[in-house]
Amino acid sequence: MTIAFYVASAVALFATLMVVTRRNPVHAVLYLMVSLLAVAVVFFTLGAHFAAALEVIIYAGAIIVLFVFMIMLLNIGPPPSTRQESLLLTPGIWVGPSALSVLLAGLFLYVILAGGRSVQAGSYVDAKTVGISMFEIYFLGVELASMILLAGLVGAYHLGKRDLPDEAEGGNG
Amino acid sequence: MIDRLDIVAELGSRFGHETFQVQPTRDEIPTLWVSRDKLREVVGYLKTDAPGPYKMLYDLTAIDERTRTHRPDQPASDFTVVHHLLSFDRNQDLRLKVALSETDLRLPSITDIWESASWCEREVYDMFGIKFEGHPHLYRLLMPRTWKGHPLRKEHPARATEMGPFQLPDEKQDAEQEALHFRPEEWGMKRESETSEFMFLNLGPQHPGTHGVLRIILQLDGEEIVDCVPEIGFHHRGAEKMGERQSWHGFIPYTDRIDYLGGVMNNLPYCLAVEKLAGIQVPERVETIRVMMCELFRIASHLVWYGTFAQDVGIMSPVFFMFNDRERIFDIVRAVCGGRMHPSWFRIGGVAQDLPNGWDKLILDFVNYLPARLVEWEKMVMQNRLFKARTQGIGAYTLEQAIDWGVTGPGLRACGCDWDFRKKRPYSGYQRFEFDIPTATRGDCYDRGLVRAAEMEQSLRIVRQCVENMPTGSYKADHPLTTPPLKEKTMRDIETLITHFLGVSWGPVIPPGEAFVGIEATKGNNGYYLVSDGSTMSYRTRIRTPSFRHMQMLPMMSRGATVADMLAIIGSIDFVLADIDR
Amino acid sequence: MNETLGTLLIIAFVILGVLHVAPGLIWLERRLLALWQDRYGPNRVGPFGLFQVLADAIKMFFKEDWIPPFADKATFILAPCIINVTALTAFAVIPFAPGWSVVDMSVGLLFFLAMSSLGVYSVTLAGWASNNKYSLLGGLRASAQMLGYEVFMGLSLMGVVLMSGTFNLAKIVEAQQNTIWYCVPQFLGMMLFLIAGIAETHRLPFDLPEAEAELIAGFHSEYSSMKFGMFFIGEYIGITLISCLMTVLYFGGWDGPTFGISEGLALKLVQFGWFAAKTFVFLCLFILLRASFCRPRYDQLIAFGWKIMLPLSLANLLITGAALLALE
Repeated sequence: MTIAFYVASAVALFATLMVVTRRNPVHAVLYLMVSLLAVAVVFFTLGAHFAAALEVIIYAGAIIVLFVFMIMLLNIGPPPSTRQESLLLTPGIWVGPSALSVLLAGLFLYVILAGGRSVQAGSYVDAKTVGISMFEIYFLGVELASMILLAGLVGAYHLGKRDLPDEAEGGNG
Repeated sequence: MIDRLDIVAELGSRFGHETFQVQPTRDEIPTLWVSRDKLREVVGYLKTDAPGPYKMLYDLTAIDERTRTHRPDQPASDFTVVHHLLSFDRNQDLRLKVALSETDLRLPSITDIWESASWCEREVYDMFGIKFEGHPHLYRLLMPRTWKGHPLRKEHPARATEMGPFQLPDEKQDAEQEALHFRPEEWGMKRESETSEFMFLNLGPQHPGTHGVLRIILQLDGEEIVDCVPEIGFHHRGAEKMGERQSWHGFIPYTDRIDYLGGVMNNLPYCLAVEKLAGIQVPERVETIRVMMCELFRIASHLVWYGTFAQDVGIMSPVFFMFNDRERIFDIVRAVCGGRMHPSWFRIGGVAQDLPNGWDKLILDFVNYLPARLVEWEKMVMQNRLFKARTQGIGAYTLEQAIDWGVTGPGLRACGCDWDFRKKRPYSGYQRFEFDIPTATRGDCYDRGLVRAAEMEQSLRIVRQCVENMPTGSYKADHPLTTPPLKEKTMRDIETLITHFLGVSWGPVIPPGEAFVGIEATKGNNGYYLVSDGSTMSYRTRIRTPSFRHMQMLPMMSRGATVADMLAIIGSIDFVLADIDR
Repeated sequence: MNETLGTLLIIAFVILGVLHVAPGLIWLERRLLALWQDRYGPNRVGPFGLFQVLADAIKMFFKEDWIPPFADKATFILAPCIINVTALTAFAVIPFAPGWSVVDMSVGLLFFLAMSSLGVYSVTLAGWASNNKYSLLGGLRASAQMLGYEVFMGLSLMGVVLMSGTFNLAKIVEAQQNTIWYCVPQFLGMMLFLIAGIAETHRLPFDLPEAEAELIAGFHSEYSSMKFGMFFIGEYIGITLISCLMTVLYFGGWDGPTFGISEGLALKLVQFGWFAAKTFVFLCLFILLRASFCRPRYDQLIAFGWKIMLPLSLANLLITGAALLALE
């Protein structure tokens, strides 16, 4: 299981790297899906089978499909030139974020190593446990999160709705 | 009842008698020559202001008159453009002719009066090179845009062997390829609106849903059709040109292939038109046999439509059942005519043979068998809720639109108009039969289907009456121009022998004149406008087909629908590509 | 060691079995459709035309494997693989008889849902990678359809989960053996799942992604040879999978009279026989649907999913939950 964990982590890292370097949006999204699948395997090795399945169903199976759907709908191909992206790669722009990321990575390593908790197949977490922790211990958090999601939904609907009258006017004019 | 002939007097009193020149024709359709300057005025008056208005532009075509010798009572003309109008109130036709000289081939377009004139005028431009001033989109319609020459002109070769060997050097191929390049602007389409970029989708020429080589260019916003342009002509074989070099008798097999699902139904208007020119009166037995075979073919054609329409909206099975039953009709056709889909069985002045022994039992068996099946399909298709959801309210047009666009047949009757030539102008003895004209009210895909489904039952009624009341007598008219002539008398007198010899070797010589006969064919009004110059061949053969007019309406019917609706609409029109392109 | 060997055996059995069921199904479908449509179907090659499938397979192997120059090559090749991989992987959790499954996973049902949700990529990517407008429309339809129908597929299954109290498929079967086949108490849920299952496999009333009258062949218009074959086989594997799940979730899986056999391999074989027989009935049902249904329009289908099926599956979940609480 430990080997599986490390392999999956490596795949996830590599895939994520590929996501940000691909020029073709569909290829990038596909790597993102692979990355999510790898994370699901990581969950699985840690004993969170339920979370792993949900990760695949919801993230890989639904949300990324929406990404692909939108890309297809808008018919986005590879960008004709990468000048804009090349600009982003000038040192002045990426030095700051990288330094911060390195700091975070160091912190993360320190926490893992100093905490002394080695990565192992964790205790098995079944669906019931997840349900109980979600709807008893973290009930307030879950409800708050769902409220925020609802707000997001309403907002998205509102943004999408406003386009319609414009289109009608355009059609008449 | 408005008097049939008073339109001539009325036009004369309104526009001055010197404006018109009346031409007598064999078919007794009032035929007036009018100058091109007055044409639009006269046509506009006839469409809207005249009592019993001529609401339908029934046909628009042209004649190359340069080599025609028999033109009594006609003004000088190199090319004549013929407008054929139809008035429902008067139950009367009117033909307006415009004379043009070879050096000045142009006349005003009437597309703003009848939108449906667009394709007809383009066809005339394509075939004769006559320019219609004010036409918004005067491109070739049937021939490729790169074609040189105008096929229906007399100097244009009729066969490939007269044209020299075909060559395709690289630069010609490049030019042809370039001409195929799709530019939306050329078809009157925009690439994008303010909010979205359109997708152009080529439906055809090779597409399982178009029932043949038809190309429809769809302008899509998502899956919604913003606009579409049908491109036709892939199936164009020059049937009208062939009519000018085949003997009167020899052209009959070509007619079968116009509406290739209609079989002998196609022979009928042609034979009736030739008989009108020749003055042949056929015996009642011939009329009844013809009606019987035509109605059987109407059922066969409707069966194909029924099954493929169902398949177009995604019901897989009915098409197999219906083709099986169509096979039963072909069994009868094979027994009677010897052929199946294209028996070419009608003759000038009669039919090819008498009915075979036992024909009545064959047909009665079928007539007794089919009604139960029709009920079953009614349940399977027309009462299917998903089918209704797919077809009701889709591709609807009003009665006014239908008349304006020249819709005839079930498409017109689905709008509530009970116009049927078999009732209104009985030909071939239809007045002797009892049958109803099914109509519907909404004019959508579903109603067009309802009308056809009900028509099959009426056709069965007619066929049954034919079997029960088949008159005795000859299967051919006793007339010198009947082709092939009655054999019995030839051995007895020399006159008949000579006529027989000439009729068989050269073909009959039909007296000069013009005649149009339209019939209620499977898909709408099919008509032949024949001009004879007193020779063994037709001088001009104009084929008025229903599918041509119906296909022209497609953009109007499908705007705002989805791609899936498009297929339902195409299916409900019931067209045949050969019937569009000829 | 023995256990590993057993698992390997089962894996081999499942893969070979499923891969052979698919061609058999193709033959069965043709013959059954022909029977219902007053025609013969394949009856020339071999006994009852059985070798027709073989002949078709040979034809498919030897056809040119054409990748259009305008296609996105990598994705174009990847797409047909996905559907086979996900569908075959989902078979891992199906219990064919007691103890006869590749893995006895605690979240087996979720695993199936996960795999079927990944199957969407096959169609979507095929549509996109072909770089053909018809394929693209097919791919778009497929993703919209699958997204909508997956939501209530998951929800419709929750009734079964509530009643049995587990996601483990073998335990669900056992729970049915102890009480009642869930097709009775979960009738609504079963119908919802069946409809969602047809939509998942895009078979005739839900075959919009490949509606041949409109989109030629939809997402696989550009595919030929073995890649087309993979889509073809993938579809039948999908049908088999949904039929297996119908059996497992609602019709008691391997449950059935054992004719006095009480132990050993014979018992398992009898139980497997029951499983196979029930699955076969659903396979035929799928084919019958194709012979008899009309294809709705795209928007009608999506509206049906969100406006009718989703509320119904939520209602089913609520009622099941309420009933269980009331009975406790």
